[in-house]
Amino acid sequence: MARIEADDLRKVFRSPDKRPGLAGSLRHLVERRYSEKVAVDGISLRVDEGEAVAYVGPNGAGKSTTIKLLTGILVPTSGEVRVNGIVPHRNRVENARGIGVVFGQRTSLWWDLAVRDSLELLRDMHGLSTAEYWANLDRLVEMLGIGDLLSSTARRLSLGQRMRADLAAALLHDPPIVYLDEPTIGLDIEVKDRLRAFLRQIVAEGTTLVLTTHDLGEIEDVCSRLVIIDHGRIVHDGGLRQVIETYARERVMHVDLAARPVSLAGIATRLAGATVIEERDGLGVAVTFDPLAHTAGDVLTAIQAELQVVDLRIKEPAIEDVVRRVYAGQLIPGPDDSPDDSPDDSPVR
Amino acid sequence: MRRNLWLYRRCLGAQLRATLEYEGDFWIMSVAALLTQGMGIVFLWAIFRAIPQINGWRFWDVVLIYSLVALTEGIAVLLAQGAWSMAVTVNLGGLDTILVRPYSPLLQVLSSQIGMNGLGNLALGGSLFVAALLHVGVAWSPGRIATAAFVLAFAPLVKIGLNVLTNCSAFWLKTPWSMFPFAFHTLGELARYPISIYGVVVRVILSVVLPYAFMSYFPATAVLSLGSSSWLGVLTPVAAVWCLLLGRWAFRRGLLRYESAGS
Repeated sequence: MARIEADDLRKVFRSPDKRPGLAGSLRHLVERRYSEKVAVDGISLRVDEGEAVAYVGPNGAGKSTTIKLLTGILVPTSGEVRVNGIVPHRNRVENARGIGVVFGQRTSLWWDLAVRDSLELLRDMHGLSTAEYWANLDRLVEMLGIGDLLSSTARRLSLGQRMRADLAAALLHDPPIVYLDEPTIGLDIEVKDRLRAFLRQIVAEGTTLVLTTHDLGEIEDVCSRLVIIDHGRIVHDGGLRQVIETYARERVMHVDLAARPVSLAGIATRLAGATVIEERDGLGVAVTFDPLAHTAGDVLTAIQAELQVVDLRIKEPAIEDVVRRVYAGQLIPGPDDSPDDSPDDSPVR
Repeated sequence: MRRNLWLYRRCLGAQLRATLEYEGDFWIMSVAALLTQGMGIVFLWAIFRAIPQINGWRFWDVVLIYSLVALTEGIAVLLAQGAWSMAVTVNLGGLDTILVRPYSPLLQVLSSQIGMNGLGNLALGGSLFVAALLHVGVAWSPGRIATAAFVLAFAPLVKIGLNVLTNCSAFWLKTPWSMFPFAFHTLGELARYPISIYGVVVRVILSVVLPYAFMSYFPATAVLSLGSSSWLGVLTPVAAVWCLLLGRWAFRRGLLRYESAGS
């Protein structure tokens, strides 16, 4: 069953085009110029019940904007979105009952209230019965370890404590869909591990999860599907394994040598398509190869035929490599729609 | 409706508890409110010492109007001060969390602050109101008392609606520090005096365009049966509903163009 359905979503922001300085501001008063920035450029997405989706991309790619469109915070410029069968920005109250949202950068707790008071206000807004409230709260207190935070004022909490309290606030009504926008930003490792375990558990229980993050460990730990976005468009959408096989098939064999080799050309001739580079000041070699063309055994044999190997390591591709390549702009949308002719930043009057 | 009111009270109650953490603020604001309103009265007294009547309005009539401003302002500040936080809420991104809670976003914004200085306004306005009533010499009949209670109950809603309307400019001006709504608030202060003393343009603005006069002047004419347009005061509830609808309309238009903030 589809929990989230987005069809050709677009969001265009308009910002005033002011020249620098006071003169520029004054000039803007008379002659108004705006530039349009396409933050989300035709995104279609379908997320089913119980799916855990990692939504990644470089800064400014449109991740947060997409989340804000899906949660009904922003109204799309064009396109359709349905969450739990309703259009979020048309029916915000109804929508809010079926989702839980955590923005890593911003708390949803009342700043000057004790955490418990914030949770009780949310309980009343969601119309939870006393029994439901206590059942959910007990569970969250135990899983997130926030028992001793309940009586603290939100503004006195540390970042990690606040994040856990925020998660409790977002999950208090047991929502079928949870959006987490950079939930582990600035958290220490122990708290991160606890959060990941917690997220795995709610996903296993059937919660639909959409997670934006820069933390790759989190993606591998929690999510089974990866959506990569760049310049406001989806450049990849698929299973985590499949992504690695598509974009990060290459493996690297690092070899330590007994003596400096005279030449590496011999290895390269034996392994067509592989690249061979010198490492460790000549006392090592790194061979990058495609496992479909050469097995690791072939590669090792080729190296040993030329040089004396002391030690070796094979580096498996990680999701990190894929995402890093996206961030570096190496994965661009298909050849038919190059980003150069996108309508970004075209001035309108 | 009942749920909305109940939740509104819950939110305000929570703000009350939070506000009590800053006791100093409360006293400073209350004293400031008393001083500001008190200065206005001294000013009035000085004028009426020189001129005993303005356009048929005597000192205590004007004090009555003045007290109504203090009372309606006091109630608006106490119960819906959140309208004034709109610029910050909207333009620093705080609206995001409000929009994902299952309670009317506008009511959440309005109940997001409790202006304890409203108590200062209410205390001063209340005493001026009583003093004025003792001096104006109106013959009280049950009908007049009912009219007064009815009209006065709606007067604060006029101010709340207009506060929402003017503060919604935050969605368009996109700055968390805007003087725009304050400018209109100051315009509304003209309604502390009988608006018949102003020119036509100001009168039309205060009674039709942005009907600030319905928070004080018109209700007072209805209570005192004074002036040629005292029947207009009975329309206060209509003005109140109109202002609230305008405020809600502006807020909804604003949400359509809300751009959030940051990432």
